[in-house]
Amino acid sequence: MRIRLLVVLLMASLCDAAAQVSPAQAAYQKANALFVAQKFQECLNELDIALRLDPKLVPALTLKAKLAMTIYRFDVARESLERALAADPTSFYAQFLYGLEAYLTNDLELALPRFEKARQLNPADPRAALYLGMTRESLGQPADALKLYEEAMRLEQSAGAPQADTFLIGSRLLLMMGRTDDAKVWIDRALKLEPNSRAAHFELARYLEEKGDSVKAAVEGEAALRLPGGDPTDVQIHYLLVRAYRESERPADVARHAEAIRAIGDPKPK
Amino acid sequence: MAGGVAVLDYDNDGCMDVFFTNGAALPSLRKTGPEFSNRLFHNNCNMTFTDVTEAAGVAGKGYSMAVATGDFDNDGLTDIFVAGVNENILYRNLGKGRFADITAKAGVAGVDPKSGKPWSVSAGWFDYDNDGWLDLFVANYVVWDPTKETRCGTTEQQYYCHPDAYQGLPSQLFHNNRDGTFTDVSITSGIARHIGKAMGVAFADMDGDGLTDIFVANDSVRNFLFHNEGGGKFREIGLEAGAALRDDGKAIAGMGVDFRDFNNDGLPDLIVSGMINDSFLLFRNRGGKGGFEDYGQSSGLRMATRQLTGWGLGMYDFDNDGWKDLFFGLAHFAELGHYIGRDSALPNRVFRNVDGGRFEDVSSGAGPGFELPAQHRGVAFADFDNDGRLDAVVSVLNGPAKLFHNITANDAHWLALKLHGKRSNRQGLGVTVRIVLPDGRSLYNQATTSVGYASSSEPLVRFGLGVNRTAQRIEIRWPGGVTQQLTDVIADRTVEVTEEAQP
Repeated sequence: MRIRLLVVLLMASLCDAAAQVSPAQAAYQKANALFVAQKFQECLNELDIALRLDPKLVPALTLKAKLAMTIYRFDVARESLERALAADPTSFYAQFLYGLEAYLTNDLELALPRFEKARQLNPADPRAALYLGMTRESLGQPADALKLYEEAMRLEQSAGAPQADTFLIGSRLLLMMGRTDDAKVWIDRALKLEPNSRAAHFELARYLEEKGDSVKAAVEGEAALRLPGGDPTDVQIHYLLVRAYRESERPADVARHAEAIRAIGDPKPK
Repeated sequence: MAGGVAVLDYDNDGCMDVFFTNGAALPSLRKTGPEFSNRLFHNNCNMTFTDVTEAAGVAGKGYSMAVATGDFDNDGLTDIFVAGVNENILYRNLGKGRFADITAKAGVAGVDPKSGKPWSVSAGWFDYDNDGWLDLFVANYVVWDPTKETRCGTTEQQYYCHPDAYQGLPSQLFHNNRDGTFTDVSITSGIARHIGKAMGVAFADMDGDGLTDIFVANDSVRNFLFHNEGGGKFREIGLEAGAALRDDGKAIAGMGVDFRDFNNDGLPDLIVSGMINDSFLLFRNRGGKGGFEDYGQSSGLRMATRQLTGWGLGMYDFDNDGWKDLFFGLAHFAELGHYIGRDSALPNRVFRNVDGGRFEDVSSGAGPGFELPAQHRGVAFADFDNDGRLDAVVSVLNGPAKLFHNITANDAHWLALKLHGKRSNRQGLGVTVRIVLPDGRSLYNQATTSVGYASSSEPLVRFGLGVNRTAQRIEIRWPGGVTQQLTDVIADRTVEVTEEAQP
């Protein structure tokens, strides 16, 4: 889930790239296009040019941080973001990425104040609320996390861009807390937004399994398996189907999905 | 990791003694001084202990991890197996407080001619073929070479890599040849076919077919449930049985495991500890084709354990009310302290079983000493002062071990069975027991020393009887299939039970 969100986040930043005329900004725009094209080395070269021309160019610094995080160079990301925030302490996006850098390195206590500050800088941006919620959930504060997820949903709705992923993040926590029927409401919202979401069908299957409807759970699980995407993984879906078919007393299907898991993940003995 | 601990009555004086494993110098993996010795402490039967390591000859060699105790030669003296990174050791108990290292002769060094000695983290004794002689299961972790260890993280923050960065290993099964030697049957039994990252192992007859099954808790890959098919063969059915993964299909960093019946339905269930944000696993055994269901959410354990990192554990009835409770030895990885913004040392936790349906955290009332955080690791359980209340000994990394004396104040009654196998193995490991109480309740338990992580607990079979002063009926099923009954047994004592001859 983290990886997918990161990709969404990075793609969304494209709109930051407005037409500018300075040489530094021109180099930055070129770098941004190369980043989207996943030509990372060329992107880095252009960023170096941009930052040589203007070491305080915040969009270039945040792009460099994103690039660094993509290749797991969190130390480089952190340094770029600190430079960006020194240049412009009011930059929401730099501050948000600063929180993300801590979150992705599992430094949750450090992520908290960074995301909080990002929220202060732009209270209307749902991303800070969402990630603050995820941080609080990981720190064992589920009630606070739920409030933040609801806030993120509200902000996304206000911006006219509700996200299925946000509903699913919330529904997973609700399922874990045993609030099954509340989870169903958010799963339905996610499915309405993205009828072909593998994750949404998987969560619906989990809900149905929890409610004891193994036949429908299997149908939803099979639907999820046919949909593209890597989150949830095939192993996760096969495992759900093993259980659903076991409940439905279909041993051949149980065996089929169990073997599929073994074929995917099991190392072979020498 | 390290930190195995065992309780055993090595001198048969009726008081449980304690054995600790210890590490070694790095990267040599050699015990270069007494600070690395494994330790055996004799229980003076007054809640004091004497270090008898030297006299017993069990200081050991290599980087030791786990300890498993059992009377493998049926001579009435409990023996010790130590599993480690580079050395396994089998100590035969010679009596009079002396042990002999018979590893090489016994054939349990575990060294593969091609790949060398696998890193073993846990081990356990059980009789898989019901021939009356204890066999040995050795749970292996990952391929690791301290001289070539790579570090993960950033240049400023370096730490051990995630288990994903290491290649897993198959575990090993050694058949007892009844003459002081063992045969490695890992391949023929089907055990070696499955590559895991084993941390904990526990045994129980999960389906009542008279054959003992094996559960292996793996770190960050799916768990294994080896169903004993008979004829020396095992089939791995963790996926089919629903005990391989968390209910969202993700693997947890499995560590300790206990395989016991928490809801007194006669079917052994599974509790598995894991890492922060994993939630510990509680799998309820539904019997027959029902397999296991993830009972973490229903029991309240899922949210209650989500912020914990657990190692040793045990499912025992600490308040003798007839329902088995849970004890967890806890500590986050020391290197994670910075990231989660809190001390990686944790206090242990005890959860009370409420009528077999849910568990409530009662740690805050367990005493001030109980709330002290430390780098806890292995846990072993025994009644050290024979007062009928089960105590726990916990190893601590780089610190003194802790002995938690159970001083629960209530009027609950109890029974312990000390088993003497005749046709079955001498300690009766694998015996299942049902007790019928005057109030109509049935309680279930079994004999095993393989409990938790890297550790070994007492072999007695214990029951809390609540308000009942007698057990109306005790049904004992020996591993070979012999059953015997005791009736109207008075509570609050240890009952010696000798296996009856087969009719």
